[in-house]
Amino acid sequence: MQIEVQLTSSPIAEKICPLRPGGTAGAWVEFRGIVRGEEDGRPISALEYEAYPEMAEREIRRLLMEISAKHPCIAAKVVHRVGVIPVGETAVYVGVASPHRGEAFALLAEFMDRLKQDVPIWKRGARSAEHRLGTNQNIAGNMPSRCSALQSLDEATAEIRARCQPLPGVRVPLTEALGRVLRETVCAPEDLPPFDRSTRDGYAILADDPAETFSVVDTLHAADWKPRQLKPGEAVRVATGSALPGSGLRVVMQENVERTGDRIRIARRETAANISFRGEDVRAGAPLLPAGVKLNAGALALLATMGNVNPLVSPHLRVVHYTTGDELVPPDQTPKPGQIRESNSILIRSLLQDFLCDVEQGHLPENFELAKSAIENRRSKIENADLLLISGGASVGEKDFTRPLLEWLGFEIVFSQINLRPGRPLIFGVKGARVAFGLPGNPLSHFVCFHFAVATALAQLSGGTAPIFLRGQLAEKLDDQPCPRETLWPAKLEWEPGGSVRLHPLAWANSGNVASLAAANALVRVPANQGSLEKFTGVDFLPLTAMLGM
Amino acid sequence: MRVLFFAQLKDVTGCDAVELPPPSPPNGDRLWAALLEKFPGLAAHRPNVRLARNWEYAGPETQFTSTDEVALIPPVSGG
Repeated sequence: MQIEVQLTSSPIAEKICPLRPGGTAGAWVEFRGIVRGEEDGRPISALEYEAYPEMAEREIRRLLMEISAKHPCIAAKVVHRVGVIPVGETAVYVGVASPHRGEAFALLAEFMDRLKQDVPIWKRGARSAEHRLGTNQNIAGNMPSRCSALQSLDEATAEIRARCQPLPGVRVPLTEALGRVLRETVCAPEDLPPFDRSTRDGYAILADDPAETFSVVDTLHAADWKPRQLKPGEAVRVATGSALPGSGLRVVMQENVERTGDRIRIARRETAANISFRGEDVRAGAPLLPAGVKLNAGALALLATMGNVNPLVSPHLRVVHYTTGDELVPPDQTPKPGQIRESNSILIRSLLQDFLCDVEQGHLPENFELAKSAIENRRSKIENADLLLISGGASVGEKDFTRPLLEWLGFEIVFSQINLRPGRPLIFGVKGARVAFGLPGNPLSHFVCFHFAVATALAQLSGGTAPIFLRGQLAEKLDDQPCPRETLWPAKLEWEPGGSVRLHPLAWANSGNVASLAAANALVRVPANQGSLEKFTGVDFLPLTAMLGM
Repeated sequence: MRVLFFAQLKDVTGCDAVELPPPSPPNGDRLWAALLEKFPGLAAHRPNVRLARNWEYAGPETQFTSTDEVALIPPVSGG
């Protein structure tokens, strides 16, 4: 029995290609377990699953083997998602192939019962649908309560992932699909190549024809389609890429042939058949591109080859961004004493480029009443935005201004502080499918909050892959005092000649420090209360969007 | 040997893993005794917890050695 098992923290694809080993299957039976909107009688927004992955995978395989002794099946694929899973999304997927449907139904039913008894995966807690002010209510009753208003980096990221749903996909022509997230798994509709074709200019003959001389009975060009049954002693002239006239053939390179009129003599026999066989690159039905990948040039070329000219992809995200802060002047003006130039507009606009956003920007006076009337004029724009960003000013605490503004606009505040340096006063709110962030005003805080929080939300709304931490090594000592908050430290990443990653910590004194922004292409994660880290210490880091195409 | 805790057992022990010397004699009862000494709060869970050794459920005859990865598996709830 062919078995595929996967534990993943990413969403499970809407379409999964059936396994069809050997073409003996007559049935492919699928089951999906979906997170319900209620747990123990109370509404929830998400469930969190934990697994013992090494054992869970083994146990799933063992159960499938055991049950298939009773109900013989050919293949099975099991995908179980772990981490925070929003309501309505798939927690577990099982697909079973069997010669006839009866065995697959029977195996599936018994497997699901046994999975719930023996496979080390646990529902860890429900996320309440009635969130309040950053507290994380625990309904399942078996999680330690996390009532602190200060969320850790991981908690905040999990909350953002749980609260942001992928927006409905759209079908666009290939010319508009670059950089968008593919929203369906694309399988090959046909074999590639679709026919046996020659990889050389030469002569097709029967593979086992021992003759030395042949009569040339036809000539095929690259676009010709002329099936015929070759006889012993017959050869057909073919070009590179020509569809061969039949099966059971080989191609003799023209360099190894002497031609006289309509006859050829083989001067040297090769062992290679010089044929690219039908389905050699890709078999029909094989998954080519999984849902969730960002479409690059190569992926678009592949879609074109498959005739998939209107892929289902993520929509352009509509973003409204307001700066606030009465001390700010536009960058082309000279600041008076006490004023500074505004840099967050271009920072945010540039960072959003990677996510294919339609961005509308503006500035709000740092007075609640004045800001309300300024917004009132553009309320419909804001109501239609998928994402609202408000950069807090430095002269008034963000909490005093941005939060009431978001609440006035109808957003529910999920959290309003995180236990992170820099970026503590980060505000995250939701209103239906719409998402808002209040970003702390300092450019470095902006930079950090964008890369872990806003980027996670954008990836989630697009249906793509959220930013992930990678592992690297410090190139120099990271000099720091122990801080009770976790830190995302700007760093410059360099590749060592041997291919490993070295991170140079950049100097920054406070979150208003802009100089290191220009050099930063990574954020190093420094645990709370850590203090300095020595040269060559292994660290987790977040590569930034401009790098690695992430 | 390394002993792993999952789900609610992490809340009981306050950690997700602990290093223990192999039990002597190397059976499950001795292992439990060592665990309960260190984490008395596990006693209430013991009737519902299964031991696993190297990613497979342990049986009454299973012997535990210093290189094993042992896990305490509380009632599961996947799917």
